[in-house]
Amino acid sequence: MRRLGFLIALAVALPHRAHAAPCDTLPNPVYLQVGDTQLNLMKRLGRALRGNTPKPITLVFITSGSCTNIPAIYTRVPITTNLQYIPSVTEDPAWTPASATLSCTPPTGGVVPDVANSALFNSACTAAAPPMTVHLTQGPAQAYVMAVPTVSSQTAITFEEAYLVFGFGAASMVSPWLDEAQLFIRTVTKSTLLAWAANISVPGDKWKGVKLDGSPMVVSGIQGGTAAAIGILGAEVYDANRATMKALAYRAKGQYAAYYPDSSSSSRDKKNVRDGHYTVWSPTIWMDTVDGTGAPVKPDARYVIDLIAGKTVTPAQSFGMIDIVAAVGLVPDCAMRVNRSFEGGPLTLYTPAESCTCKYESLVDTSSCASCTASCATGVCRNGFCEDH
Amino acid sequence: MMLRSFFTVLPLVLAAACGDAGDTPKDAPAQQIDAGTPDASCFIDPHTPNEIINACTTAVKVFKDSHPQLLKPDGTLPALPP
Repeated sequence: MRRLGFLIALAVALPHRAHAAPCDTLPNPVYLQVGDTQLNLMKRLGRALRGNTPKPITLVFITSGSCTNIPAIYTRVPITTNLQYIPSVTEDPAWTPASATLSCTPPTGGVVPDVANSALFNSACTAAAPPMTVHLTQGPAQAYVMAVPTVSSQTAITFEEAYLVFGFGAASMVSPWLDEAQLFIRTVTKSTLLAWAANISVPGDKWKGVKLDGSPMVVSGIQGGTAAAIGILGAEVYDANRATMKALAYRAKGQYAAYYPDSSSSSRDKKNVRDGHYTVWSPTIWMDTVDGTGAPVKPDARYVIDLIAGKTVTPAQSFGMIDIVAAVGLVPDCAMRVNRSFEGGPLTLYTPAESCTCKYESLVDTSSCASCTASCATGVCRNGFCEDH
Repeated sequence: MMLRSFFTVLPLVLAAACGDAGDTPKDAPAQQIDAGTPDASCFIDPHTPNEIINACTTAVKVFKDSHPQLLKPDGTLPALPP
């Protein structure tokens, strides 16, 4: 039964190959190679951009590990496999983010991605500096969780416990996580593993457990696991599976209490990510190619990146970008109040140039901010709310 | 800046000061703060990394009384196996 459920989930997740068309015949294609944690973002943004009246764009993408995506754009490795894209409303009015993507065939000889994504600091994957021809943009924050089956009685894990469980496996003597066949982890090129690795001081290649290539496999492992099971996931993957598993609160080194990414186990506000109480998060990094003057080689690629990063774009898009970022469980940079400069590094206070906290909270919780149409008694009117700056 | 240490203050006072929403597990009472943590206060105007992660908050806190057996007597962690 569990196997059947996994196969159904796989069938929905995989692109429909029966509709494979040449990718370069799609309207304004922008080719991307992104982390598999970004699939939901690609789906929602891809749908919105197909219908972006001022500048329609087709996101044509593959998902892969962050540490595979970085060299793909640093050294210009062509994508030769079939890619995915999202149908326009005209092509499929009934399509939703829960639906499968469509498949298209790459141009002859493959296509170098216009945009590559790492769901963590590039330096966590490679010591190589980006070439002068690659421009990096910091996008929304991505949180990562440790999750357990609903049959587990556990509610929290500490830095010390996580270090021992994943660094020593069955020898950790940390109950109940003593069965290495019940430790569901990721392969060493994946941001989920590397982000946790940096936070618990266990290098990626030293982790004990069952190394899985995709998040759906970790989900399946946790769902079917025993009380000794534990797995690592992107928070947005966990958010989509809350009914069948529990995220653990995490107590970082030197922290007095453990915290969920959200203000409680049942909320979805990412409050503790935004203010620094939950430490296991990474900025998503978005890369495109620039010429000798630093100008983007493909302006439409930079348009997409600027949208994801929350920057003002020209022409203005016809949809709410913060809505999309919030809907896929990411935190827009404009709602963050802490930052860091390397993977797992210490947090520092952060003030974005233009706050969107009120707007973000209105989408994921309730906002106590005053609403506005043009001006505010205090603060700045932005996105319909009086933001503090 | 930093509040005075609350080594001996009742958990209820701590909860009020930090806005604890009371999600403490029954088998891990709030007063059981791990040995090794400096104190149980929170910071009302955080600046340093340690103050930021221990800032006062209205978010749910989970206190876990954890003493892994492999911890060294001085509270440090053993080296990872090769």
